[in-house]
Amino acid sequence: MATQIVMDHTGDTRHNFDPKDVQSILKAEARFKELTRVGFTPAVRTPSGGVVVTRTFDPTAEETLFFPRLVGG
Amino acid sequence: MPIFEPLLRAAEAHFRSFLAVSVRGAKALRDSFGSENDAETRGLTLLREWLSPEQLAQYQANGYFDVTGCDSGKRYRIHYGTSMNVHEIDRDGWARAGWCFVPNIYLVAGDVMLAQKIALETDELGALAVAKEFSPSRR
Repeated sequence: MATQIVMDHTGDTRHNFDPKDVQSILKAEARFKELTRVGFTPAVRTPSGGVVVTRTFDPTAEETLFFPRLVGG
Repeated sequence: MPIFEPLLRAAEAHFRSFLAVSVRGAKALRDSFGSENDAETRGLTLLREWLSPEQLAQYQANGYFDVTGCDSGKRYRIHYGTSMNVHEIDRDGWARAGWCFVPNIYLVAGDVMLAQKIALETDELGALAVAKEFSPSRR
C-alpha cells in the first residue's frame, strides 16, 4: 500500500492506494493532480532521510506528503 | 397545595429542559476540545515522522529543531508554533533575523513546522520571497 498524506485542519488525512492496481493508481493520480492544481506541494522522503519536492506523480513512492501554499505571515 | 401544582409542574419542566440543553452544550464543548486536541497530536506525530533523526533528537530535547537552507546553506531554527517561529541563526546559535511564512489555510503547529522545514530544505529562496522579516527576540 502507498499513502498520500494531505495536511488539513484535522492534522492530516491519509489516502491509501494499491500501487499494483490500475484503478487505484488512476484515482491516486487524479488526487495528485487536483491537489497540486489548487496549490499543494507534494514531497517525498529519500532513502537517505532527506525530503524532496516532486512535480510528477510517482505510484511507487511509499508516502507522498502534500502541504498547502505558504504565504507571508 | 393544589393551587401550586401546575406552577411546580411547569417549573420542573423548565428545569428539565434547562438541564438537557446544558448537558448537550457540555458534550459539544468536550467534543470540540477533544477534536482540536486530536488534530494537535496528529500534527506533531506527522512532524516527528518526517524529521531527520538529528532534528527529532533536537526537537525532543529543546522544543525546536534546525534546518539548513538548500540555496544559501544558512541555518534556521524552527520553534514550536504557528507563526513568527522561524529564526535565521548564526554559528553560535544566536538569532539574526526572524522569518514569518505560514500555510494559507489553518493548520496545527506540527503541520506548520513541517511545511516550513520542507520549504527551507527544498525551496529556501521561494520561502523567503513570500516571508515577512521580523526582529527576533530569543536565542
